[in-house]
Order: sequence, then structure tokens, then C-alpha cells
Amino acid sequence: MSEINSIVDFLEAGIKAESLRQKAITNNVANLQTAGYRRIDVRFEQLLAKALDSNGSADLDEIEPDVYQPKQTPVKSNGNDVSLETEVGEMVKNTLRHRAYVGLLKKNYQQIETAINVR
Amino acid sequence: MEVSSSFGPIDIAVSGMQAQNKQIGAISSNVANAQSTDNGDGSPYRRLEAIFKAAGDEIEGVTVDEIAGDMSEFPRILKPGHPDADDQGYVTMPNVDLPIEMINLTVATRAYQANVAVMKRYQRMVESTLELLR
Repeated sequence: MSEINSIVDFLEAGIKAESLRQKAITNNVANLQTAGYRRIDVRFEQLLAKALDSNGSADLDEIEPDVYQPKQTPVKSNGNDVSLETEVGEMVKNTLRHRAYVGLLKKNYQQIETAINVR
Repeated sequence: MEVSSSFGPIDIAVSGMQAQNKQIGAISSNVANAQSTDNGDGSPYRRLEAIFKAAGDEIEGVTVDEIAGDMSEFPRILKPGHPDADDQGYVTMPNVDLPIEMINLTVATRAYQANVAVMKRYQRMVESTLELLR
């Protein structure tokens, strides 16, 4: 991929990260009662910001969303640290971000379409 | 470059829901142990209450500071046949008052719902912003 990133590349990477994060949240909710399970989260925006800071552009093929265990929430007696409230909040945030990215992508395509249709 | 989540209200609403959830946990423990005359160490069950604390000087939501025991006196009732009765036949009961627990349960449930309402409303606000993209 070229070093100069287009809007579509960024949005694509963002949507990819959001769907992975949605998977992580689903996994957390599914393991709400699993003893010893620690919740997982996805780190992507921070990595992208870091790459953009150092280079001014980022190779979006190189920057992979990173699945990690934050280990910041209080652990229950069975060694599990998933809170349903947190996961619901994360899901709402994730949905809103996803919608924003898809909306921007749609707008971008609409602009291209307008350009094509000019006679 | 700083990554801003810009979803502060959602995190705060979640912290409120979690705090009320803990309070409801304490209330259910109180109701379940309303008649527990032995806590394991000879004294009756002591009523519990979640004590809330603001999570920081900034706008950061709420945390549960501690689950504190209610230090009010235990009521004593006459029940000579009870295994935990003293010489005069009095049993020391837990300091749990069921009507109070029920009121507290209603308060905690309503507070939980209020936090959910804040989250829903904020979600709708962001959605209306996203409408501008159409």
C-alpha cells in the first residue's frame, strides 16, 4: 500500500477494528460467569495515532488491531473481571463509532458518484 | 497525538450502573440474612450498605468506596426456645429492617434506571449528530 493514505483506507481500517472489538465484547459477555476469565479489549486507535505521530503517514497493512487484557477492572471472587454494565457501555460506544465510520464512507462514495454524474 | 474516546457520558453512566448494582447486591444480602442470628462468630448478621464516592475531582463518575456495616444496635426479642437465646431467653437479631430495605431497593433500582436513561439519551444525541452525514 502506498504511504499516502486515502480517507477510504482509514475508514476501512477503523471499521475492521470496530468489528474485531465487537467480537471481543461478545466474547466477554459470553464469558460473564466463566471462572478465571479476564476481559479482553482491542487496541487500534492508539497504535494508529502513534504511527501517524512518528511518520506522518501509516502503513495500514502493518498496523494490526491488537487484542489484549486490560486487567483494570475489579476481579470477582471467581477470578472473573467482566462487568455486564461495562460491556454494554463498550458496545454502545462501539456501535456509535461504527456508524460514524460507515456514514463517512457512504458520504465519500456519494461525492465520487456526484463527480461521475456531472455532465 | 492524543486519542480521545469522547464518550465520557457513557463511561459515567456505566459507573453509576455498576455502583447501584453493588448497592442492590448489599440489599439482597440484607434481605436474605434478615433472620440470621449467627454470623459465624456468635454475633448476628450486621446490615451492609454500599458507600459511594465521586471517582475524582474531575467529571469521572462514581465508585463504591466500601461496603460498610451498619453499626446501629441489634434488636433483642424474647424467644426462649431459640438455640442462640441468652440466659433471660432473649435472642439478638440482625439490625435489618425489611421495609427500609424495600425502600432502598426501590431507590437503587430507580437510580440504576436513571443511569440507563442517561446512556440511552446520550446515544440518541450522538446518533442525531451522525444523522448529519446522510
